[in-house]
Amino acid sequence: MSAPVLSVRGLEVDFAGSGRPVPVIRGVDLDVHPNEILCIVGESGSGKSVTALAATGLLPPTARVRGRVVLDGTDVTGAPPEVLRRLRGEAVGFIFQDPTTTLNPVLPVGRQITEGQVAHGRLRQADAPARAAELLGEVEIADPEGRARQYPHQFSGGMRQRAVIAMAMAGRPRLIIADEPTTALDVTVQAQVLDLLRRRQAETGAAIVLITHDLGVVAEVADRVAVMYGGRIVETGPVDALFARPRHPYTTALLESLPRLDTRGGRLDPIPGQPPLPGALPAGCSFHPRCRLAAGRPRCAAEEPALRPVGAAAAGQAAACHFAEENPRPKPPATVAEAAASAAAAAPLLQIEGLKVHFPLRSRVLRLTRGHVRAVDGVSLTVRAGETVSLVGESGCGKTTTGRAVMGLVPVTGGDIRFEGRSVVGLRRLAMRGVRRHMQYVFQDPFSSLNPVLPVEDVVAEPLRIHGLYDSFGGARYIARLFEMVGLSPTMFGRYPREFSGGQKQRIGIARALALKPRLVILDEPVAALDVSIQAQILNLLQDLQRELGLGYLFIAHNLSVVRQISDRVAVMYLGRVVEESDSDTLYEAPAHPYTQSLLSAVPVPEPAGRTGRGRIVLTGEIPNPAAPPGGCTFHPRCFRATDRCRAEAPAFRPHPGLPSRVACHHAGPPGTGASAERTEEAAP
Amino acid sequence: MTARLRRLSLALAALLADRGAAISLAFLVVVTLLAAGAGWLPMDAMRQDILKALEPPSAAHWFGTDELGRDILARVILGARTSLQTAAGAVAIAAVVGIPMGLVAGYFGGWRDTVLMRFVDVLLALPGILFAMAIIAVLGRSQMAALIAVGITGVPNFARITRAQVLSLRSRDFVTAVEAFGASSGYAMARTILPNAWSPIMVQAIVLASLAILLEAALAFLGIGVPPPTPSWGEMLRTGKNYLHEAPHYAVLPGIALTLTILSFDTLGRAMSRVLEDRHGQAMPAGDRQEEGR
Amino acid sequence: MIGYILRRLVQLVPVLLLASVAIWGMVYAVPGGPVGVIVGENASVEQIAAVRAQLGLDRPIHVQYLDWLLRAVQGDFGASIHSRRPVMELIEQRLPASFQLGLAATVVSLAVGVPVAIISAMYPGSWIDRSLSAWNALALGVPTFWLGILLILFFAVQLRWLPAISTHVPFWENPFGALRNLALPAVTLGLYVSGIFARFLRASIVSELGSDYVRTARAKGLPERQILLGHVMRNALLPFITIVGLSLANFIGGAVVTEAVFTYPGIARLLINAISQRDYPLIQGCIVVILVVYVFVNLVVDILYAYADPRIEYR
Repeated sequence: MSAPVLSVRGLEVDFAGSGRPVPVIRGVDLDVHPNEILCIVGESGSGKSVTALAATGLLPPTARVRGRVVLDGTDVTGAPPEVLRRLRGEAVGFIFQDPTTTLNPVLPVGRQITEGQVAHGRLRQADAPARAAELLGEVEIADPEGRARQYPHQFSGGMRQRAVIAMAMAGRPRLIIADEPTTALDVTVQAQVLDLLRRRQAETGAAIVLITHDLGVVAEVADRVAVMYGGRIVETGPVDALFARPRHPYTTALLESLPRLDTRGGRLDPIPGQPPLPGALPAGCSFHPRCRLAAGRPRCAAEEPALRPVGAAAAGQAAACHFAEENPRPKPPATVAEAAASAAAAAPLLQIEGLKVHFPLRSRVLRLTRGHVRAVDGVSLTVRAGETVSLVGESGCGKTTTGRAVMGLVPVTGGDIRFEGRSVVGLRRLAMRGVRRHMQYVFQDPFSSLNPVLPVEDVVAEPLRIHGLYDSFGGARYIARLFEMVGLSPTMFGRYPREFSGGQKQRIGIARALALKPRLVILDEPVAALDVSIQAQILNLLQDLQRELGLGYLFIAHNLSVVRQISDRVAVMYLGRVVEESDSDTLYEAPAHPYTQSLLSAVPVPEPAGRTGRGRIVLTGEIPNPAAPPGGCTFHPRCFRATDRCRAEAPAFRPHPGLPSRVACHHAGPPGTGASAERTEEAAP
Repeated sequence: MTARLRRLSLALAALLADRGAAISLAFLVVVTLLAAGAGWLPMDAMRQDILKALEPPSAAHWFGTDELGRDILARVILGARTSLQTAAGAVAIAAVVGIPMGLVAGYFGGWRDTVLMRFVDVLLALPGILFAMAIIAVLGRSQMAALIAVGITGVPNFARITRAQVLSLRSRDFVTAVEAFGASSGYAMARTILPNAWSPIMVQAIVLASLAILLEAALAFLGIGVPPPTPSWGEMLRTGKNYLHEAPHYAVLPGIALTLTILSFDTLGRAMSRVLEDRHGQAMPAGDRQEEGR
Repeated sequence: MIGYILRRLVQLVPVLLLASVAIWGMVYAVPGGPVGVIVGENASVEQIAAVRAQLGLDRPIHVQYLDWLLRAVQGDFGASIHSRRPVMELIEQRLPASFQLGLAATVVSLAVGVPVAIISAMYPGSWIDRSLSAWNALALGVPTFWLGILLILFFAVQLRWLPAISTHVPFWENPFGALRNLALPAVTLGLYVSGIFARFLRASIVSELGSDYVRTARAKGLPERQILLGHVMRNALLPFITIVGLSLANFIGGAVVTEAVFTYPGIARLLINAISQRDYPLIQGCIVVILVVYVFVNLVVDILYAYADPRIEYR
């Protein structure tokens, strides 16, 4: 094997804040070879991003770095700034998470792509525009010459990330560091960008270090994987071996706690507890308080295990666990035959019919209405007691607005919303208040949905106080019961929201939503901001509560795996409309709408075996501006089955023959059938 | 309640850890005590002694005497009272008018926002001192007129900072949450948004206090502030300027008191905003934000 | 672009109208009203009636306002009560002096403020940053009139280098004389405004230095100087343009006091005198002229901003 492009030995990083230094990286060794994709995967606080920044000397001055990092033959640690600077421009390229902030808003994109090369004297200023256009062309941006002269705000999110890739590739670097490069992108755009990244890597032979929290992305692109926990690599190995036979209990637990697209599970198997904070690591093996194998063994609590080879030498796997040999294979994802029971029989709790929410676009000066954003443009849906109905779609599809319209938080333009048979559209405030008692909302971001100046006890009690029911519901005793119901201790009463972790905050948010004993709960991306291991805990809690209390859930999410895990019925939204609706199994196993099909095929599956054979529909383009949706079927510009009819005529939302689904498509049908004679890897533009 | 007290004492401790803030606070406490207890001090600010006019600092008159032979130190201390009273009254007026304006404009948006903010624009369109001068031109010269004039020029500060806070808090989920529970807009504004906006508003109040003292002194310096014989720093500088050759101390010493007071408020305000930034881990929203349809 | 400017002009109309109502109505709020302003408190009934008729006060109130507004738009604010000369004539005499002082002070404030901001932002938390911040606090905290007094005391009374009382000498007629007369007032006013500039610009640069695109630029291996000048300053100067426009209010406010300290013959001192003489037509005229200058400068600033920021489209 050729010499590694990047070689890290004994890397340690402390952040010296105002108090004592916090160890963030505690001894990391890794090698990255040319033409290889190494994925570093871990939860928040595991130190994965810091590792990559430290390897290139990009950490802020408050960080203390020890160890040895050799990058492209140059020792980085202790290298003078000038050497590091040259190295960064020539040997390494970077792709960061959020393409909206990575690019400088006031400089043309083309200039930003090439300026590094110009600064290093590797490109003449006169040749820069041509080179920028060439690079943009290589990342498949149409009209590269014109685009190079534009500013970042004129690019869509996916195009910006392409431009960032072009920038990273500008110096033909031997190593590319990509820090969560697709986390900020929608799933169909993520598929495009990952695909592009992999192809550009293969063409240039560069090595890539890709940092992610998403095991699906790892399985899609990695050659080798390093799993980080508590500032160390706890397991490393080739991607196939690591997914098939993980050697560290954390890796196993992570895989088991993951909701999956390909199987319908009953309950997830979450990792108990929370990922440790770098400032407060447990002694010994930092995973032992959450570990199945540790189970009170004194050695785990006393001695930090070294990363050592485990299993067959040829497999190349290593794990940092005293008892790695005992680590079991991950349980095959359980497929529970669902007793699709009472739900269908129950009376409908919530009925949405033809809901429309249009926001006026006003001119800035005279506030004249210039047009409308059709945020929601015809959504029909029914939720029954004890049932979970999910609204799924990419950003801007109108799923959150639908939820807010149900709560009466945004004005309804057209259609009807009925709660227990009574229309709630246009209710006056007091009447709406009566209805709101029975409908509650759980927010996406647990960090912003709790009032920071109230102790958590008052946060949970607030809805009761607003409705004047605090005493009649049992006062502090009732609040304590709610706390226990969501798995929190009432001893935490006097604390403030910021003293809690994300998962705990979301539990508080759920307790608050349950305080008024609602019958319907609208869950707006309740687990999107949480780490994988915490996500499973919350999903289980939600399922338990639903069973106990007979709640109806309207579950709003973009993550198709999570949706599959929890839903009885699923509705897929695109540009303000439901394009397909069915029971969960049918929708996932026999999707009829081309958008559903491409959405499902774009989701990275945590199963590296057979990733090459997976026929994937990669959609071109991105979601159009909802203020000016395309005519006819709004999906037609991106659809691989689009015909002239689609361009002219909007399809009706109607039952699909042979399936318990309703679909809005002229050419609906299972993948590879019907009008889709040309089932393609690449969709037609 | 104890939890709140704990938070408050923690914030105070964090503030006093800043050396500049601690010194400033100590200075302001001393000035306030002196101003409040001026009546018990051995010097008399009003007694004239023409024979001892314009004497340089001495053991009998630490700050020297003015053109009528009055003790300058005693007048500086009484001037502090005038200054602090005017500033406190002005900040109170500005807060009482400005904060509700900002709340309503930010929370409801729409025409209320347009009307209120146009009003603020008009207030801002004139430099504060000109505005104050115009008000005094109408009301005539008195301490109350100076107080009102300075207070009104501070209204835009409170209105804008409150509105900016409300706009940034308005879209936060915890505000949406209380609305989703069925809380009235009054509840959302007074019980949910305002408690979260207090800190930057407090900082604004401190900063405004320094501006008010400056403006009050400037008006007096121009001869249209608090009228004599009430001692005021600005008035003393105005008169002292006529005796630069004979008695340079006359125009210098009251200026030191004025400058230190202004600097102390300013330092305190900036230290407070730094402490708050550290505690919230983010810069405080500074500017207004355009809200589009969604 | 033209459309953008027109739209900005349209936006100004309500502000200017509201302000004009306030300025016009000011006279009616004075005890005795507009008549008392002219005839004084001990006037006879006949005198009052004569002035009422002469001023057209017997007409409906909106007609009076529209009449005043119509003449004000043409620059006619009537005659000064004190000197009996047309208000606009008095103002025109003073404007060049004020503009010259404003320009000189702007030069001082930018020459001091911008370098101070850049240097302290480059080394945040260092001793140089702290001492420059202290300097800024002084520039902002020391009252302009007291600073003026100190400067006079030192440069005029002690050293006798510069005049204690500044007169207006047109720069193109006598540059040396102009500088001699402008030096103290321009420094007094300029230092104060430089504090505002430096404080704001420093905060702006520091916050831009923390943004992601700076990390990107470092990752590209750009030299720090190029990052600062090519990336950070472009972003930091955008809001700074607005601050320069808004600080015109501070400028005018500072000029009022500065002109008083140095008995400089600018428009602000005209206004102060008018206020102490209760010369309302002159007060109205001065305020309107200052307001128009202020609004116009801010309009230019907004247009510059829109021109400099690619994100603003002139739709």
